[in-house]
Amino acid sequence: MHLLSINDLIVRFRTHDGTVYAVNGVSFDLDEGETIGLVGESGCGKSVTNLAVMRLLPRPAGRIDGGEVVFEGQDLLTLDESEMRDLRGKEIAMIFQDPMTSLNPVLTIQEQMVETIQAHRRVSKSEARVRTLELLGMVGIPQPEARLKNFPHQFSGGMRQRVMIAMALALEPKLLIADEPTTALDVTIQAQVLELLSRLAAEHGTAVILITHDLGVVAGMTQRIYVMYAGYVVEAAVTRDLFARPRHPYTVGLLHSIPRLDAQPGEPLIPIEGAPPDLRHAPVGCQFAPRCAWRQDRCWQEMPPLDLVDPNRDFVATGPQATHRAACWNQPTPEEAVAARPLRSGFEPAPPPAEAGS
Amino acid sequence: MSEMSEMSGQTIVPASGIPGQTAAALPSARPLVEITDLRMYFPITQGILISRHVGDVRAVDGISLSIQRGETVGLVGESGCGKSTVGRTILRLYRPTSGRIVFDGQDITTAEGASLRAVRRGMQMIFQDPYASLDPRMTAAGIVSEPLEIHEVGVKSERHQRVRDLLATVGLDPSYGDRFPHEFSGGQRQRIGVARALALHPDLIVADEPISALDVSIQAQIINLLERLQSEFGLTYLFIAHDLSVVRHISDRIAVMYLGRIVETAGSRELYERPLHPYAVALLSAVPIPDPLVEGRRRRIILSGDVPSPSNPPSGCHFHTRCWLRERLGNPDRCVAEDPALRALSAGHQVACHFAEEVDGSAEQVQVTGRSPGAGGVAAAPVLATPTAPAGPPPRPRDRG
Repeated sequence: MHLLSINDLIVRFRTHDGTVYAVNGVSFDLDEGETIGLVGESGCGKSVTNLAVMRLLPRPAGRIDGGEVVFEGQDLLTLDESEMRDLRGKEIAMIFQDPMTSLNPVLTIQEQMVETIQAHRRVSKSEARVRTLELLGMVGIPQPEARLKNFPHQFSGGMRQRVMIAMALALEPKLLIADEPTTALDVTIQAQVLELLSRLAAEHGTAVILITHDLGVVAGMTQRIYVMYAGYVVEAAVTRDLFARPRHPYTVGLLHSIPRLDAQPGEPLIPIEGAPPDLRHAPVGCQFAPRCAWRQDRCWQEMPPLDLVDPNRDFVATGPQATHRAACWNQPTPEEAVAARPLRSGFEPAPPPAEAGS
Repeated sequence: MSEMSEMSGQTIVPASGIPGQTAAALPSARPLVEITDLRMYFPITQGILISRHVGDVRAVDGISLSIQRGETVGLVGESGCGKSTVGRTILRLYRPTSGRIVFDGQDITTAEGASLRAVRRGMQMIFQDPYASLDPRMTAAGIVSEPLEIHEVGVKSERHQRVRDLLATVGLDPSYGDRFPHEFSGGQRQRIGVARALALHPDLIVADEPISALDVSIQAQIINLLERLQSEFGLTYLFIAHDLSVVRHISDRIAVMYLGRIVETAGSRELYERPLHPYAVALLSAVPIPDPLVEGRRRRIILSGDVPSPSNPPSGCHFHTRCWLRERLGNPDRCVAEDPALRALSAGHQVACHFAEEVDGSAEQVQVTGRSPGAGGVAAAPVLATPTAPAGPPPRPRDRG
């Protein structure tokens, strides 16, 4: 049994402008102690997926329209609010991009952390305080005794994110969801926080879902990666496999469009032309088709399933043997992935169908 | 103040050592921009009725930099290091506390009024936030034509045509000119910002984090656009960013800043291959590389603590409080007592560290062998970078076994 298994999750938002198709059938699994990456651009549904796991979608607009979220054998979508509240923080914790807005500005660090601990554990205030001190020391806050009475604004960005990590790990959750935990931080501080996060997760055996737009961050941190685009998982693979043999045109495009620190001088960037789709339109066909150099006629009509790249292998969902899957009718070959364009002679990307009118 | 005297000699050698740089090939060419010992202090005041001057935020604390015509100079550093202030001071959006700014042979340090406005035609800025830097109540065409109107360029019909040309130049459909900023995506908005910066045929464009607010798949579009425009119009860029990979990609030369000072400057390839300042080494090692094979082999220097406040910078070398090299050398007092001057260790490579000779930047860095073939292995050679005999230990992802 997996620690977490998300099956065909569908999330929609009802807004004044119509329905937003935020997550359109996302499935993934996670085992205990694993770290996986969820990669994609803003609006690809990576954060919404995890808010749905925590049942923290903004209400009344956000709505889970289908699927299940099975955590330790229990479908979280069937729990009532008080059961869910019990679970949050204790079993599944979350840290957000901006530590300033996720800490309460009018409470001291001690007050917030003691409150968190006492909400879930039957301990006295002084016991909770001892635990708080221990946690702050663990995340490397200098002189934790002196900082207990400080307010969030008295901490720097990196220190605040450390406090957030301390709070998230206070109850030793089995799963930690880190949503862009270092995006607001400087590179050297990012390195500190990532190092801390991976060390603590390993020590406590915590499973981590790392949500980020930065392929560099997931390359060094995760065992497996799910690439998302417009509410779909378009490619899933073991981290090394994904970088060595990307099989979805979007992944290929992403890898070629970011400058690498170790690139050869003069190595050109190959951008992905166009922009991500408007999620207010019901998805038809592959959502990446308008930007894809490999598209065929059917890509405009049918969304390809997330299928095994190598059909001869048996499907393994998690762990280091997890099978490489991609949702693409016309997968780039390894040579094409290197060149970032189709190499077959005479191949032209299929024009949009006439009736779609563009 | 004793530290003032230490800061002389921070002059950056022109980019003579950079191959493939056409503009720098002309040795007699005077730099387009030359700043000397520039300081920009922002006063900290206290009191409501009578405000007392109680200190300064030393955003820029004595830097010298020259930018050749046609060159791209990258200015990197973490937030609060003063890199944006340098850019804004060069454009004379601030009046510098001291120092000298020479633009195209003209001293503009204290220029004002009409003469400043005239100078500003030659220098433009691209801002970080494509949402905040465009007036939401103006159309795209109105935004792009505003600089033309301010400087009274041409008659109305000529301006109209120029705006259409500019929009086409940056890859926007000229018929979109009637639309308002909210009707564009982030990448398109940044294109409008670029078109506005180009309107007056500037010589210098200061690009302050022009892509960091954009989505990953859009960033490359804007980088490529900026590179194309540079070769088309012979532009000179001061490219300010925190992302070293981007800066390295676009720049001919890079200056690394820390707490208001330039700590190292070198050709971009040289800086990456042989960083000499302990801060630059740490900064480079902290940048994640999107390749698990490389990541698994890298040594990462984790700096302890945060950047000190620029209102009360540490004495001597500003970096000494976090320096890993100083620790390794047994915490020599010289770092605390004495400001390191920027000195040349090789042609075009300058560093402000007393012990730069002890830094073996290449040893601290990645071994660039055996990259994942799929991950941007578009090396110049058509042959696939086959990892025949991988140097070093077998790559091991940093997992928990």
